[in-house]
Amino acid sequence: MSSIPAISVVDVHKSFGPLAVLKGVSFDVPRGSVVSMIGASGSGKSTLLRCINHLETPSAGEIYIDGEPMHFRVAGDGQRKPRPIAEINRLRRDLGMVFQQFNLWPHMTVLGNVVEAPRRVRGLKRSEAGELALECLRRVHLLDKAGEYPARLSGGQQQRVAIARALAMQPKAMLFDEATSSLDPELTDEVLAVMRDLARDGTTMIVVTHEMRFAREVSDRVLFLHNGLIEEAGAPEEVFGAPKSERCRQFLSKYLPKYVQ
Amino acid sequence: MGNWERLVWNQRHLLLDGLVVTVEICLIAFAAAILGGLVLCLVRLYVRPLRQVAIALIEFFRATPIFVQLLWVNYVWPELFGWPGSFFTAGWVALALQSSGYLAETFRAGIEAVPRGQREAGLSAGMSHPLVFRRIVLPQVLLMVAPSLVNQFTVIVKSSTLVSVITVQDLMFQSQKIVNTWLDPIEILTATAAIYILVVFAVSALGKALADLLRRRYGLAAS
Ligand SMILES: Nc1ncnc2c1ncn2[C@@H]1O[C@H](COP(=O)(O)OP(=O)(O)OP(=O)(O)O)[C@@H](O)[C@H]1O
Ligand SMILES: [Mg+2]
Repeated sequence: MSSIPAISVVDVHKSFGPLAVLKGVSFDVPRGSVVSMIGASGSGKSTLLRCINHLETPSAGEIYIDGEPMHFRVAGDGQRKPRPIAEINRLRRDLGMVFQQFNLWPHMTVLGNVVEAPRRVRGLKRSEAGELALECLRRVHLLDKAGEYPARLSGGQQQRVAIARALAMQPKAMLFDEATSSLDPELTDEVLAVMRDLARDGTTMIVVTHEMRFAREVSDRVLFLHNGLIEEAGAPEEVFGAPKSERCRQFLSKYLPKYVQ
Repeated sequence: MGNWERLVWNQRHLLLDGLVVTVEICLIAFAAAILGGLVLCLVRLYVRPLRQVAIALIEFFRATPIFVQLLWVNYVWPELFGWPGSFFTAGWVALALQSSGYLAETFRAGIEAVPRGQREAGLSAGMSHPLVFRRIVLPQVLLMVAPSLVNQFTVIVKSSTLVSVITVQDLMFQSQKIVNTWLDPIEILTATAAIYILVVFAVSALGKALADLLRRRYGLAAS
């Protein structure tokens, strides 16, 4: 296995007008590892994920996917040029994104949702794409719902379809933005179970979450984001067990009662 | 009863010819209005430099009375553009213009109602913007606006009675011809009204059935 990280984030800044949301964030996601990102609302977690797959354009800095710069490329004369949109689309295929709001396409069946991108983007034949889609639905335990429309599924099932849809592009890494935050507590576990399976199978993942127990059990590394900067980073036992930063301690105390002092 | 037979039944071929022309001109106008409305709406939303032009056209088409538009397209356009060359063409173009203004706004509302996240889900899977529009946005917009489309078609059918003014030989034209020949308007105009009612009713019923079918098929809540 090469030592190039699956995802490398280098000094990424992002501002919306005068509002600086990310102020220089850097970290690596080695292949096959799970990085969890925690932090208060508004700390910039979603913005960071969205910068990684170019739903937002970073104001400065660069993101490398398997060593390839996502936003810029170096021209023959050594100058950095913004990538044309077609190239960005190509690189984006390598990152699967799962959103808090599922964002399934309501006019397509479950199977239709999952085959869509493999067929139209990767150009697979109908039969190949279908087989691939069924395999992905099997991984999220929803083979029996292939013919249903999303509106007839529970929130947990919809989110699992969204995961299957992202997996069907066979991405190099998966990005989860609070995948369970809009689910009722009793539906959260079925989604987390699927994510656990993915982690165990060696999927590279960045997981933004408020499920601290999950982050602690599954992650190889945990990042605590505060005000657009990584305030604390480390192995889960370090960050959850003995946070160095006072802010991180305060944040965790809301979730893990043992920090209340 | 003699009048009904003489004025309506015996003239059924004329009326039928007129009905065929009415149906033709309405269908063509409807198709052109959908296309025109879609183009106007896309330009308004996505082509920055032409945005104001599109807005002006939409407002102009919506604000001018259909009768004025009809005469304008029929008498002024040939002078300005050398087109259209026939009354029939002028007829459907005028009908289409007005409806395209309304449909452009309908389409825009539909496009804006598709949640942004659905588009982002497509983009993040590597789909291009045009592909996202064609596969994700457009089908949902058509589902959403189906009832308005049907409604707009009935508006076209009703407005189409005016094309007889520029001598397009539609149902209204034939019916007036019969009136002018026999100077006895009661039965024939009543029959004509009944035919229009039937056509509009059939279009509405068909449209509603279609919309229900689509909604059930996609499991979307009736709205
Ligand atoms: N498109 C945008 N335009 C302007 N401001 C934005 C935009 N997107 C995000 N922001 C702002 O950036 C800040 C960070 O938002 P972000 O969604 O990244 O936070 P978050 O850490 O994901 O929070 P949450 O836990 O609530 O999801 C917020 O103050 C938000 O208002
Ligand atoms: Mg967020």
